[in-house]
Amino acid sequence: MIPDFDQQGQAQTKEWTPDVQAPAILLENVSKSYGRIFALSNITLALNGGVTGILGMNGAGKSTLFNLLMGKIKVSQGSIKLFGTNPWKNPAPYARVGFVPEHEKMYDWMTAHGFVSTFARLNGLTRDEAGIEADRVLEFVGLTDVAFKKIGQFSKGMRQRVKIAHALVNDPELIILDEPLQGCDPLARTTIMNVIRELGKMGRTVLVSSHILQEIERITEQIVILHQGRLLALGNLHSIRERLDQIPHRISIEAENPKALAKDIIDIDEVFGISFPDGRNVSIQTHNLGAIHARLPKIIVENGHKISAIDNPDDDLASILGYLTNGGRV
Amino acid sequence: MATKPDSVFRSLDRKAAAIVEFTLRQYRTRTSTWVVLGVGFTALALIFMIYIDVMGSEFESIDNDGDSFDEDGDGYPSGQERRLGTDPFSDESHPGMFDPPIEPEPASNYINEDGFDWDVTGSSGSDSTGYDNDGDCLNSNKTASQKDTNENGIPCDIIVQITTSPSGEIITKVIADAGVDEDPDEDAYSREATHLAFVLSIGKLGFVLLLGIFLPLFLATGLIRDEMTSGTMHFMLAKPVARSEIFLYRVLGYLGIVWPYIIALGILGALVSGFVGSGDDFFRFADLGVWLAIIFATMMATLVYGMLFNALGVLWKYGIILAIPFAAWELGMALLSMGAPDSTILRFSVIGWALMIVDSAAMMVWPNLDVFILMGEWGGGGQGSDIFGSSSLRGTVPLYFFSSKPGLGLSGFASSIVATLVLLVQAVVFWFIGGALFKGKEIQ
Repeated sequence: MIPDFDQQGQAQTKEWTPDVQAPAILLENVSKSYGRIFALSNITLALNGGVTGILGMNGAGKSTLFNLLMGKIKVSQGSIKLFGTNPWKNPAPYARVGFVPEHEKMYDWMTAHGFVSTFARLNGLTRDEAGIEADRVLEFVGLTDVAFKKIGQFSKGMRQRVKIAHALVNDPELIILDEPLQGCDPLARTTIMNVIRELGKMGRTVLVSSHILQEIERITEQIVILHQGRLLALGNLHSIRERLDQIPHRISIEAENPKALAKDIIDIDEVFGISFPDGRNVSIQTHNLGAIHARLPKIIVENGHKISAIDNPDDDLASILGYLTNGGRV
Repeated sequence: MATKPDSVFRSLDRKAAAIVEFTLRQYRTRTSTWVVLGVGFTALALIFMIYIDVMGSEFESIDNDGDSFDEDGDGYPSGQERRLGTDPFSDESHPGMFDPPIEPEPASNYINEDGFDWDVTGSSGSDSTGYDNDGDCLNSNKTASQKDTNENGIPCDIIVQITTSPSGEIITKVIADAGVDEDPDEDAYSREATHLAFVLSIGKLGFVLLLGIFLPLFLATGLIRDEMTSGTMHFMLAKPVARSEIFLYRVLGYLGIVWPYIIALGILGALVSGFVGSGDDFFRFADLGVWLAIIFATMMATLVYGMLFNALGVLWKYGIILAIPFAAWELGMALLSMGAPDSTILRFSVIGWALMIVDSAAMMVWPNLDVFILMGEWGGGGQGSDIFGSSSLRGTVPLYFFSSKPGLGLSGFASSIVATLVLLVQAVVFWFIGGALFKGKEIQ
């Protein structure tokens, strides 16, 4: 019983035997209420394998769902199982889970490598193993160059990627990402989306939440729509999506030189209007959001524009929700 | 790579080491940590400076028996006349009339001329001790009854009586033959008494109370709470580590910074008081035992309070507000333990047990402390050298206040073991409470 002070070599400990028959996530009639307000009501859901997008407006219950899955809050009714185990009672399933929280606050004083390897050790890895694994996942998210820089100096997109790296360090079978694309620049978005798609191809179960339809659309077609705590829709997005292309959309880009950016953007066929709401932003109007989002990163990179934020102020999810709740009228 | 036998324990201590290391590094990056540690150091440094100043100054010598005066104005101090058998109250009787005549001695010869010669251990019963250094009792002109005013059949001695009353109170009595140990050396006594009082007061108030409560108050209350508030707790909770483990490892990390700090300050204190303190030796090695106990008691106090305050932080967002009443209670208990170390209410405190460790060590290292205090209170038996008319010597009152018996009535060693065990049990109880609170907490 001598403590493992030098922490070299390999860890082989398995303290918990997972139920191999059980799906990664199983919710049965799950409700979560705060007083008389239901944050989630009567959700039944089983997920195993592939990438699933959790769509919903702010307050729809996405974060509540994830907090329940991560054992941070207790179900009011129903049962929730991660690999066959109740996560509120037993943290053991997290050996097979990676979680990317929504919270922006990170340990700014740590290096990316320090952060990832420290938290890898909480999975029971030795110091050696944790270092090797941290190198691996930081390369996977494309941060090898800045691995030994302080997180405090990172841009938002880089911070998100550090969080994703930290969640992947134990080679999890289930990865839960809470709004991973929020506030990221286009380049980081593309990288993160590629990472998520890659994980899906590797056969992992991935849950991504977002309130922006186009983001999810570029990652997966399998979606769960939450609205006011209820499960509104479950399945393929494709058919619903087609109808929505008829509505005009806006994209707002915050750039260092909005006028120059606008000049390059006007060449895209799908753009039918450009305006400058203030000195920092360009507002683009289009009928085909997907096409713009596909071409925008290339234009920005090729012309060397400096972008600090990109946003869709027209929440398309609102339109979908309107469509789903009003019997098909947009 | 070397492969080691693996076990659940190994995996656990890997996680523990990771959280402890992480916590230590987190403390290091925070300004507040350095402010708290710096303030603690400054406060103690100030007390030490006062101590050094006091020990460096001269303790005024007092003529406790008043025999350096020339009462009758014949040029001879009363003490000399008394020793040589002439009448100190008549200018017609003095040693100048002797054949051959004896010159008057300077008055200073009759200050501090008869110091303490006590060799009693302070165990109960009645002991005879003391020696008449200046010969004013053993004077051959005195009759046998004049030499034995305390009537115990031994000429020129002091009776030291320590008895226990039926109600358990300890009654001490000093009955001296006239002229024995009646003019002690203030500088020697008060320097020693002041030194002992300082070591005990710095140890009890400066270390165990001040550091013992304020370090955990500022450093442990936020161990879990700050992470919950900032949202960074999510990273730790998303790993296969039980919450009560996180609670414990965070406290271990906090001890990783607090304990070395206490040990360093304690060693510094032991060195300063060892070199500056009274005594003929170059260094007071005997005191090291007491310093060891002070360091240990402070470490135990920071452990128990660390668990408690961390739990309070989990319980409520403003845990520090909950911690303040505890700190106030403990301050009261600390003062009570000095006045009434037997009080039952002390058993419901942390500080009472921690201070018991210091008292036990003082009892073991300085076995004659009680007699030493008794000596100072008696102070030669003269009349009123201070404004209250008390004959007690300088340094006695603070020493009396700061020293107390470990209240269990056991031997020093036994009571320090009991106190340590109680403190450990308290720490474990607070860990369980804190872990349970944390486990039941919904974290948004």
